[in-house]
Amino acid sequence: MDPIREAELVMTRRQLFGNAALGVGTAALNRLLGGSLVGGLASFAGASGGDLPKGLPGLPHFKPKAKSVIYLFMNGGPSQMDLWDYKPKMEAKYDEELPPEIRMGQRITTMTSGQTRFPVAPSRYKFNKHDNNDEGVWVSELLPHTATVVKDLCVIKSMWTEAINHDPAVTFIQTGSQLPGRPSMGSWVSYGLGNENENLPTYVVLHSKVSSGKVDQALFSRLWGTGFLPSEHQGVALRSAGDPVLYLRDPDGVDRKTRRRMLDDISSLNEMQLNHFGDPEINARIQQYEMAYKLQTSVPDLMDIGKEPEEVFTLYGDEARNPGSFAANCLLARRLVERGVRYIQIFHRGWDQHGNLTGDLPSQCKDVDQACAGLIKDLKRTGLLDETLVVWGGEFGRTVYCQGALSRENYGRDHHPRCYTMWMAGGGVKPGIVYGQTDDYSYNIVDKVGNVIKPSVEQLTPGAVHIHDLNATILNQLGVDHKKLTYRYQGRDFRLTDVDGHVVKDLLA
Amino acid sequence: MKAQFSLLFASLALFAAGVLATSSEAVAEPKPTQAKALNFNRDVKPILSENCFKCHGPDAAVVAGNLRLDKFESATKDRNGRKVIWPGKPDQSRIFKRIAAHDEAMLMPPTDSGLKRLTDQQIATLKQWIANGAVYEEHWSLVPPVLPVVPHVSNYRWGTNLIDRFVMARFEKEGLKPEPEADKATLIRRATLTLTGLPPTTAEIAAFDADKTAGAYERLVDRLLASSGYGENQARFWLDAIRYGDTHGLHLDNERNIYPYRDWLVRNLNNDLPFSDFAVWQLAGDLLPNPTTEQLIATGYVRMNPTTSEGGAIEAEFLAKNTFDRVDTTSTVFLGMTVGCARCHDHKYDPITQKDYYRMFAFFNSTADAVLDGNALLPPPVLRASTPGEERRLQKFDTDLAGLRSKVTASEALAWLNAAEVVPVTASKWEVSPVYTVANFDLAYATAFAPEKAGEPVEWKAYDLVIDKVATPVQGKLNSAAYVRGVITSAKSQELLIRVASDDGIKIWLNDKVVHDNKVLRGVGPLDTVKLSLNAGENRVLFKIVNSGGGDGFLLKLSDESKERIGNFQKLWRDGKPEEKKPDDLAALYLELGPEAPAATEYRKLRQERGAFEGTIPMTLVAQEMAKPRDAFLLKRGEYDLPADKVERAIPMTLGSMGKGDPTNRLGLAKWFVSERNPLVSRVFVNRIWQQHFGTGLVKTAEDFGSQGEFPVNQALLDHLAVTFRQNGWSIKKLHRAIVTSSTFKQQASADTAKITKDPENRFLARGPRFRLDAEVIRDASLAASGLLNREMGGKGFKPYQPDGLWEAIAFSESTTARYVRDRGPSIYKRSLYMFIKRTAPHPVMQSFDQPMRETCIVRRSRTNTPMQALVTLNEPMFIESSRVLAEKLIFESTSDAERMSRLYMLTLGRMPNDQERAVLMASLKRYRDGYHMDIKAARELVEIGDSVRDESIPLHEHAAWTLLCNTITNTDEFLTQH
Repeated sequence: MDPIREAELVMTRRQLFGNAALGVGTAALNRLLGGSLVGGLASFAGASGGDLPKGLPGLPHFKPKAKSVIYLFMNGGPSQMDLWDYKPKMEAKYDEELPPEIRMGQRITTMTSGQTRFPVAPSRYKFNKHDNNDEGVWVSELLPHTATVVKDLCVIKSMWTEAINHDPAVTFIQTGSQLPGRPSMGSWVSYGLGNENENLPTYVVLHSKVSSGKVDQALFSRLWGTGFLPSEHQGVALRSAGDPVLYLRDPDGVDRKTRRRMLDDISSLNEMQLNHFGDPEINARIQQYEMAYKLQTSVPDLMDIGKEPEEVFTLYGDEARNPGSFAANCLLARRLVERGVRYIQIFHRGWDQHGNLTGDLPSQCKDVDQACAGLIKDLKRTGLLDETLVVWGGEFGRTVYCQGALSRENYGRDHHPRCYTMWMAGGGVKPGIVYGQTDDYSYNIVDKVGNVIKPSVEQLTPGAVHIHDLNATILNQLGVDHKKLTYRYQGRDFRLTDVDGHVVKDLLA
Repeated sequence: MKAQFSLLFASLALFAAGVLATSSEAVAEPKPTQAKALNFNRDVKPILSENCFKCHGPDAAVVAGNLRLDKFESATKDRNGRKVIWPGKPDQSRIFKRIAAHDEAMLMPPTDSGLKRLTDQQIATLKQWIANGAVYEEHWSLVPPVLPVVPHVSNYRWGTNLIDRFVMARFEKEGLKPEPEADKATLIRRATLTLTGLPPTTAEIAAFDADKTAGAYERLVDRLLASSGYGENQARFWLDAIRYGDTHGLHLDNERNIYPYRDWLVRNLNNDLPFSDFAVWQLAGDLLPNPTTEQLIATGYVRMNPTTSEGGAIEAEFLAKNTFDRVDTTSTVFLGMTVGCARCHDHKYDPITQKDYYRMFAFFNSTADAVLDGNALLPPPVLRASTPGEERRLQKFDTDLAGLRSKVTASEALAWLNAAEVVPVTASKWEVSPVYTVANFDLAYATAFAPEKAGEPVEWKAYDLVIDKVATPVQGKLNSAAYVRGVITSAKSQELLIRVASDDGIKIWLNDKVVHDNKVLRGVGPLDTVKLSLNAGENRVLFKIVNSGGGDGFLLKLSDESKERIGNFQKLWRDGKPEEKKPDDLAALYLELGPEAPAATEYRKLRQERGAFEGTIPMTLVAQEMAKPRDAFLLKRGEYDLPADKVERAIPMTLGSMGKGDPTNRLGLAKWFVSERNPLVSRVFVNRIWQQHFGTGLVKTAEDFGSQGEFPVNQALLDHLAVTFRQNGWSIKKLHRAIVTSSTFKQQASADTAKITKDPENRFLARGPRFRLDAEVIRDASLAASGLLNREMGGKGFKPYQPDGLWEAIAFSESTTARYVRDRGPSIYKRSLYMFIKRTAPHPVMQSFDQPMRETCIVRRSRTNTPMQALVTLNEPMFIESSRVLAEKLIFESTSDAERMSRLYMLTLGRMPNDQERAVLMASLKRYRDGYHMDIKAARELVEIGDSVRDESIPLHEHAAWTLLCNTITNTDEFLTQH
């Protein structure tokens, strides 16, 4: 149509802008400030002396519901139909072939694509129905503690992703792209919102021990990396052995008094340089050294759980006294949230049950179950749950059909991206609901009457939640419009949700 | 804080002036206040690109209202007597009805686009441009550079070379004056750091200081360019760009052997290989006629993309992903254009269509390497990467060996051959078992399934096993085993050496006894040699093949190499054609396997020496084109499983066409890159070299020369450099020399507040460069100051100190890089360039100081300033050790505190300390000394950090106190900064 005619008709072009990724002005200003003045301040806000903006100007875009995120990531792909997605009808279909009208010719990995049969493996676990704030929720016997907090959980049974192998899938959920090179969600948050606590990093990563010792899926630094964002936004790993933050401890033979004196000298020498060159970077460096000094006390204080009351350990379980356990990390996460840390990513590995599922899954669940429940209860007890968004889940789900040998007692499951279960709690999400449904085979997402939904990444599909939708929703709870938190790189304004993603309002309180 | 505040204020003022709205990257350039002639590319296009092109630009799929504002024809089209843009008639151009509309519903860009209303200044610019005729010019970077006229300047006395004339022209336009030349101490430190990544030695400083003759600085630069450190330092920028790593990068992230490429790079930068060859060899060395080893090693460039062999991975998907990565990297490295945007749709801002993208894709999708890497150290094709020197030595061996062969009498050799006895064996009755699957590989290997248990029933099936050909009895099943059995018949009892290859593990029984047991994760490649003691008559042989994931494989060779060769020769000499019966071959066989004789002994010894020598030469990954290229298709939305139209190889339409007569493959593409018709390659490269020396390029967006990138701050200078670079035979060293010897580069880095405020990022270059050193340089400088630095060049990536558990916390347990075992000995003190790079877990020291992860192409590092960096240089063992060894050196080499202090400054900062600095440090020295005197245990703890051995003759408290002083200096901004 002639554009001038169009103007006269005042046609709407709004649909054209459904995916607009803009907000460049603010990003650019921050880069200007960040590049020449405030250096690493985005991840350590206080270093500037506190009078410069924390995060980007204009952010949050609107009043946030959550100040912090605790992301409990189950690496490997937990089996949804053995934990959350109760499929009683499968019992009668034991060892029957997965019907072609269910599979619909969809691609499967080359680990099972050569199988001559796709026999149904019903879950061997009992499920119990627990009251929530809606119609109740079925929870597997493997998660008895989590079952006690379902009134606080927003269980999403209709998560879906596009990737079918671990590396691309976990990279996708953490960075919004299957290929390496993009910033992780936590670094976007650090970049956009800055920090609440000047003495701790904005974005903390915690790796958990796996008690079975079987950790046959890998993690990658890129999962908490910054991609093209300035590298100060990368996640800082807090470690349970050695220095909690790398190189935090003064060298042997150097006491605090000596360290202080050295820093004073460095500062004096740097000030002489500043007077000579007038380069504001020198001033920033002086402040970063002070910041480092403060970190040396704030981190050990954070890690010291000795003063936590006994009742806390009843919540998380005694395992929380074992440094590096998932339970200990959950407790640390609460302490981090208390101190205003924005984004805490806890990794737990070993959820890739291609075979021997019934041998391995109980131990995996035992590692995390009580701590997950304990974390929710503890946050609630301390009044932090309202402003903390807790997210639980993995990179994809698992197949109803068996991989390898099938028996009533044991079976294996391949990767399944088409539907799986995650849950969220706190931070302004609806407590005590279940969102989305799957068919009897936990193979496809279906609507309320059981018709298969073909979810779309481009449009919000009611009843289905794509990875980009989940990420858009998480950012939304932090007061961030996922379409406006962008960074220009190679001539393009990138964002976490690429060109898609929709806030799933149905999940929000 | 004061300086910061005024800067912030200045920046905010700029923000308010609306500069931001043109291009976010252009913010740093303060706009001159006086009116000036409009430049379409600099002044107009950024406004249109930023605000309009998203819907009215090159992306054909979304063009709104049939209006394109990137094309004159469309923008000025007559639309029922009206025009959106009416050249010469701004008042009649309808565009202003929209961009200046008060009604929100009419406003462009639309309010819901997230874009801001255009500023008055922008609207005025557009009006002026339309009034001048609305002339569209091709995007500046797409027009090949021509040698610009050297500008006339009033201050023509300033400057050393032509670079300075271009810079001065800009000064005069902006009303700026250059800073004086930096002092000699600063100059030698700056030049040495920027060219070699190392600080100058005290001897070098003294020599330069003593040289008062004309041209002293130029001679210094020439010396630096000729030093081996030059290539080492230059290499790291290129390695960032091409994402070099020592592991595959995805999933298992196993080690990959491609460091010979890195050493090739250093060697050829030091040889000043012209950039044209540099580019052609890397992109297409394999396609050159009779390529040399050097040209083939260079093709490691093509193989550098991260790869995977994750169980379950779909080959077609990763063929697409691997190729995307190659295309995106090549276009960023050479063209400074990110064509990646066009993977899913036409480019929004630049004239690159989706079809263009897949035409580029077609150049890179047909290399012979397997899409999935097999998690192998050396996924084929690979090459023994001999250096030219090593090649000469191998040739000498070959000449000597040929000499010995020429002396063999043919009749004697033939008589021996005819008499040689080979006891024949035959294999038959091959059968295969069912596949046994269990929970994991370990179990599959360990479990004795029915075929290895006597008396258990097995459903054997006949199997058509062909000797010397790969079979797949496990059928690709994960964590599974299958058995193959057969009968070997021998005419008499003998010891037979057979060879087997397997994917993954293999176990062999002969007549029910285990004769081979190799639990291994591998692809079919390396051959295990197994000795079979055969009985006369029939022998039962059983093979168990165990697969962990992916495909499986089993290959059997029923003889040892010697017997096979003798057998083959006998057959050849019996049945072969005369031209196949080469006497030289027979002579070789005779000398190798024939009767003992002095010549044979000599021959075998030489061969063994040659083999041993060759064995020390590492293998490396190379590119090789498939005999028949794969078809390429446009992939809808960039999805591998949504192929649309077939496409043929071509460069993007808007960039012209490849050379006539050049092949339509990587070689033709490479030749086009370095042809005069290419508008981008030389500009993009010289800009990155400029960026190295000044911290920022003439185009700040070194990775984007497209519409959304920055317009060059000094295009004439950029084009001057780009054209002269080509005219100078693409000599990279000459390019460096011109930049580093310019007066622009030699200015002092300090300036008054007014100047810094006017130009905080020093884009106009009216002062010398000043920026934080890169990760590698900081580590190397610290080692160099103490004398700990090991200057041995090249070799396998070394593994220095690293906190425990970093790899273990994340790695796949079966990865070859699951556990970090650090090196011991001198290798840990090598230059950082040679550090082992695990792409999924970079070394924390390097990462803290912004070394990229090497998973993707990076041509501009971020340069942050964080507390983590302070913790590294204050506490990391190598930095402490360097300080401790430096302290030892000071204590040995000088006697008084004052002298030691001077020496400390010279070794670390290349200058003498002033009185104020001396006072600060002397006071602390006394305190530290006294403190450690009281606490000798603490002193010992400090000075025992690190592997290097301490000289016990130095009093502990003295050593510890000086260690702290050294560490204080290596933590100053001055030490960490290039200035």
